[in-house]
Amino acid sequence: MTRQRYLFCYLMVAPALVLVVALGLYPMLASIRMSFLQYDLMLIPTQGTPFVGLRNYQTLLANPNFVQALVNTLAFVLVAVGGVVTLGLLVAQILSREFRGRGTIRTLVLISWFIPPVVAAGIWIWMFQPERSPINEILRGLGLMHSDIRFLTNSDWTLGPLSIPFFAISVVRIWSGLPFVITFSMAGLQSIPGEVYEAAEMDGAGSVQRFFYVTLPMLRPVLTVLITLLAIGGIGHFELNYIMTGGGPKGLTNILAVMAYQFAYSQYRFDLAAATSNIILVLTGIIGFLYVRQQIRER
Amino acid sequence: MAIQTVSKAKIQTAGRTHFRLVRRMSTALVVTFMAGVILFTLFPFYWMLKSSFQTPADITSLPPIWFPTHATIDGYYRAVTLYPVPRYLLNSLFVSSATAALATFLASSAAYVLARHRFPGAVFIMGIVIFTQLIPGITRVFPIYFLIKDLGLINTYAGLILAYLGFSVPYATLLLTGYFTASSPPELEEAALIDGCGHFGAYARVVLPISLPGIVAVGIFTFLGSWNDFLWSSLLLSQGQMKTIQVGLRDFFSEAGNLQRMNSFMAACVIATIPAILLYRFLQRGMVSGLSAGSIKG
Repeated sequence: MTRQRYLFCYLMVAPALVLVVALGLYPMLASIRMSFLQYDLMLIPTQGTPFVGLRNYQTLLANPNFVQALVNTLAFVLVAVGGVVTLGLLVAQILSREFRGRGTIRTLVLISWFIPPVVAAGIWIWMFQPERSPINEILRGLGLMHSDIRFLTNSDWTLGPLSIPFFAISVVRIWSGLPFVITFSMAGLQSIPGEVYEAAEMDGAGSVQRFFYVTLPMLRPVLTVLITLLAIGGIGHFELNYIMTGGGPKGLTNILAVMAYQFAYSQYRFDLAAATSNIILVLTGIIGFLYVRQQIRER
Repeated sequence: MAIQTVSKAKIQTAGRTHFRLVRRMSTALVVTFMAGVILFTLFPFYWMLKSSFQTPADITSLPPIWFPTHATIDGYYRAVTLYPVPRYLLNSLFVSSATAALATFLASSAAYVLARHRFPGAVFIMGIVIFTQLIPGITRVFPIYFLIKDLGLINTYAGLILAYLGFSVPYATLLLTGYFTASSPPELEEAALIDGCGHFGAYARVVLPISLPGIVAVGIFTFLGSWNDFLWSSLLLSQGQMKTIQVGLRDFFSEAGNLQRMNSFMAACVIATIPAILLYRFLQRGMVSGLSAGSIKG
């Protein structure tokens, strides 16, 4: 009877497991292997794919464009994740109060959720077109600006990894991530019992104090999961940067995933592409590790 | 005594007006903030719709026209005639539906036994599923490109569907394991087993039907995951007529300098968004009615 039941279990789980291993685990290991080989499509016919040890990683680290992309990737995660979590938390806090029209406002705020990333990139490219940008038009109308901001092409002003195109893409990344953060935070806020707020109010806590001394600490487990997920997604992010600027101008919006893609499909250097993508894997792994360690500590 | 009460009352009213003022100011602040957020989230949406209904002359005018006075569907007409947009849409619909159907079929069987049965290796298998979820797409895409190439499936629907299953199956398995653990009472399966159904029978005839709302919801999520993809389809299915709509939109980008065509590009963007929004609405309603149907039966 038990043997029959086990057989049933393995039969049920086998097809999915085969797929997960073949298309999840295997490619990861193959990519690690590829990064230690010379895998240049142009040279494969004559030289094959010899083992070269750490040479690909050395090539990357000696490349200033790579270092720039690495710094940008981390800066994007800090700015975009920080921005979207702060904004999303504030909105969630407001939307979890009872007031008339709450449902409508919630729908309006969540509308960007199901806009495909390519479409989001398309809309914002159009909104960022310097002469016809509604944003420039408003700034000009208010007398704040006299010349058009070239959102995606201005490389005159930089401060470390920060630049105008950097912020322009960050805004789009915040825009497209906001609905998820609002929904996630609202679910978290609902789990905080109302009595806690009542008790805090009785003790004379104002709404700002309630937010910092009740909401934030109670929300910490949810926020930790949220930030971990966003950071992992953010490090491997590809679409918006690739479509909006392709990493330019002067590499100001270049990130690791875009760089890996271009190594592979513009230069046919799959070895460098694999090495770059493994750096992304390592960064993701570090965040995953920090998360797990923190979970264990709290138990 | 009397003086004391009077002054106390005075202080109280003074305090209250002060409090009310603070409250009004904070309400005004909150309203302004929310108005700003709604403008931020909604305005790009408006700008896309507006631009899609403008004429080429209006869309290039300087300064930009905020509220078009004459609408035209010229942009939509051009979007579907300049490039094979309807065909791209069908490609996307086919690939995403096939992925959703296959992924939920495979994932629901696996998720069911992972959630409901104890067997050697179950925890390990669950660990692999969760771990795979965390591997970034860009790390997997290069070896999978060669794998699909070796299978002779580059530029075929089957190749792209196979690649999509690689991230849809673990995702759907995770969601459905949670769903099976939380819903569908074990007594039902026990009753089915006693009535002479085998394990397969209990699963196929009892568990699957009552879990259908959850499975459909997960199916829609996997559909949307494939629908929105650009990375994989740009590599595996990038040729000619077979492109998915997200890659097809890039046809318009190649002429981004050509502002004349911005209206047809925005129209194509609207077209690429509609199915996703329809499904989202369906999901919201379907979930609610599915849940209520369950409670009536229960």
